[in-house]
Amino acid sequence: MATTSDSSFITMAHGNGGRLMRELIEHVFAPALGNPDLDTNADAVRLPDLSGDGEWLITTDGFTVDPLEFPGGNIGSLAIHGTVNDLAVSGATPCYVTLNAFIEEGLALSILERLVRGIGEASRESGVRIVAGDTKVVGRGQGGGLYLATTGVGLRPHGLQLGLDRIRAGDRILVSGPVGDHGTAVLLAREQFGLSGDLQSDATSVLPIAQALIKGPGLRFMRDPTRGGIATVAHEIARTTGHTVRLQAARIPVRPPVRAVCDMLGYDPCYLACEGRIAAVVSPESATAALASLRSLGHRHAAIIGEIAAGRPGVVLETALGGERILEELEDDPLPRIC
Amino acid sequence: MSVARDQLAAIRALPLSGPVRIMNVCGGHERTISMAGLRTALPNDIRLIPGPGCPVCICPEEDIYQAIRLALDERVVLASFGDMLRVPVNVPRSAVRSLDQARAAGGEVRPIASPRDAVRIAREHPGRPVVFHAVGFETTLGPIAAMIEEGLPDNLSLLVSGRLTWPAVAMLLESEQPGFDALIAPGHVSTLMGPEEWTFVPEHHGLPTAVAGFTPESIVAATLSVLTQRLEGRAVLDNCYSAARPGGNTVARAALERCFDIVPAIWRGIGSIPGSGFALKPHLAAHDARRRFPGYADEARRNAGAMPPGCDCARVVLGKILPPECRIYGSPCTPRTPVGPCMVSDEGACRIWWSSGIRERSAERRADAPAAPA
Ligand code: SF4
Repeated sequence: MATTSDSSFITMAHGNGGRLMRELIEHVFAPALGNPDLDTNADAVRLPDLSGDGEWLITTDGFTVDPLEFPGGNIGSLAIHGTVNDLAVSGATPCYVTLNAFIEEGLALSILERLVRGIGEASRESGVRIVAGDTKVVGRGQGGGLYLATTGVGLRPHGLQLGLDRIRAGDRILVSGPVGDHGTAVLLAREQFGLSGDLQSDATSVLPIAQALIKGPGLRFMRDPTRGGIATVAHEIARTTGHTVRLQAARIPVRPPVRAVCDMLGYDPCYLACEGRIAAVVSPESATAALASLRSLGHRHAAIIGEIAAGRPGVVLETALGGERILEELEDDPLPRIC
Repeated sequence: MSVARDQLAAIRALPLSGPVRIMNVCGGHERTISMAGLRTALPNDIRLIPGPGCPVCICPEEDIYQAIRLALDERVVLASFGDMLRVPVNVPRSAVRSLDQARAAGGEVRPIASPRDAVRIAREHPGRPVVFHAVGFETTLGPIAAMIEEGLPDNLSLLVSGRLTWPAVAMLLESEQPGFDALIAPGHVSTLMGPEEWTFVPEHHGLPTAVAGFTPESIVAATLSVLTQRLEGRAVLDNCYSAARPGGNTVARAALERCFDIVPAIWRGIGSIPGSGFALKPHLAAHDARRRFPGYADEARRNAGAMPPGCDCARVVLGKILPPECRIYGSPCTPRTPVGPCMVSDEGACRIWWSSGIRERSAERRADAPAAPA
């Protein structure tokens, strides 16, 4: 029967506040996410010591990826990495995360367990603790299996100044690794294209990259190029600074299988999501050193991919042939949900 | 890429004495040219002009109308290539204007990427008539012929709107103002049909011609070839695409010949071009949607077959104007709100120019402005 506790699928009863819901939290969420700051019985928790040396930053995000699992991660690990990365590129060290899970009726418990384990593993790797959470069950057809919503807080050292307003003409743009891996891996995982590949999502915490860049001089701004890819980050820079962002196609690292899939399906890797990369703007004098620090961390595909040029706001792609074209803002999002 | 850069340098060094207009007739070529920014890397006098290279753009309005009507029949499953779904037909605004809208209105429309998907869909719906709207050039009809020869499910029929490329080029060349001085011939079509199909261009019309593949390198090589020919006062068919072998793919061509008759056919906005259409042979009548569902066409309709009002796609397709010279390019015609088919298809010149970043309408700069003598 669908409502017994040994059922292997989520039912509406898992969200009714009764025994099944308690068992779901105790047997699925608590063991995977457990840490000294998580009390699954409390309605509200006292945040552990918030008196660190620095400023507290807060971020919030929602995750709706389809499919729920893909090579290199799942919606659970993605939610943690996404939250951690938003804090990391803002210069903060992520500390605490809250989590809301909207589970669709009919989701197999075995899948849910894997996804929740993904949350647990990613939080341990990233050094964050889940301090509060909630689960809701939505009716069949009302959610894509599992949606997650997170809030994260992190501590940023006093005096660290990063932001679009610090960018100047002449600054260089770096990317920490090949672009488009996540977007392509998720596209392939859908199988609807009849293509298969051993491509993995790049989803991971970018905290070590961010911290290496922060240590060096000349860092102006960082962003993790998720939805809309590096083209969208470039547009944000152009729009805010009023300058032209010039990208050099030949220098943008793209893995051959990503290139092949994009050629076949008509996508441009510059618009595809990364979930484990940083795009950074650094002063011209510091660009080489910043690149060297990324390479020494093992990011051997890291590259200086362009620069900020005084002029009209816009993004220009210099092609390998020596021609150029305007890289427009992503308009008709051709991609289904990928993050 | 370094060979291509050297060839570009060679092109820039050519002592050209005035504008040269080089037409391509393949959406894939146009996409490569636009995405590689090739026009910006060439001297201004070298004008690369997109010509008839988009089968969706010239698919007769009547055929799309018939596909929409079929889709609205609740018994029918209609399979069509994804980029056909948003092509509008000329019906009142309140009526269903595209396959996309037919789907929203409850019609069973299946976007497909490969002809074989149509067979799969037919097998999945044994009790229902499945109609595949077969739009494409030789390169699409070839695989369709192979699929037909493997045997079609009884419930699958084809609404064939296939076209041959070269007759449109021949029509242009026979007109008073062809509008181009040299041709880059399509590589994929040549792989299938053989590059010889294009010898009529240099031999009968005296225009330098080179077959190119889809890479920027191949297109640069073909450009250098036709320009050099022109400077030397020669016109031959050069082949810059090693995959295109003399005679083409004889197996595929034989299958095409067994499945299709070559007939005069309508190109949307352009009219009928002799010998330019594929039609199913009589022995395949049982799979011919035109014979099985004749009642779904309505050629007496107002504006049947016409271009949408204000749309200049026919002139874009013929290379008479460049996309941004259409008066409604960008406003209101965009990929999100397409007025003409050239803004819908991935192979349409307007769509390609738009997605390569050209967002502004340009002042009148006729693509077919006559070139100075070489
Ligand atoms: S801009 Fe639109 S209407 Fe004008 S030619 Fe292009 S597709 Fe047709």
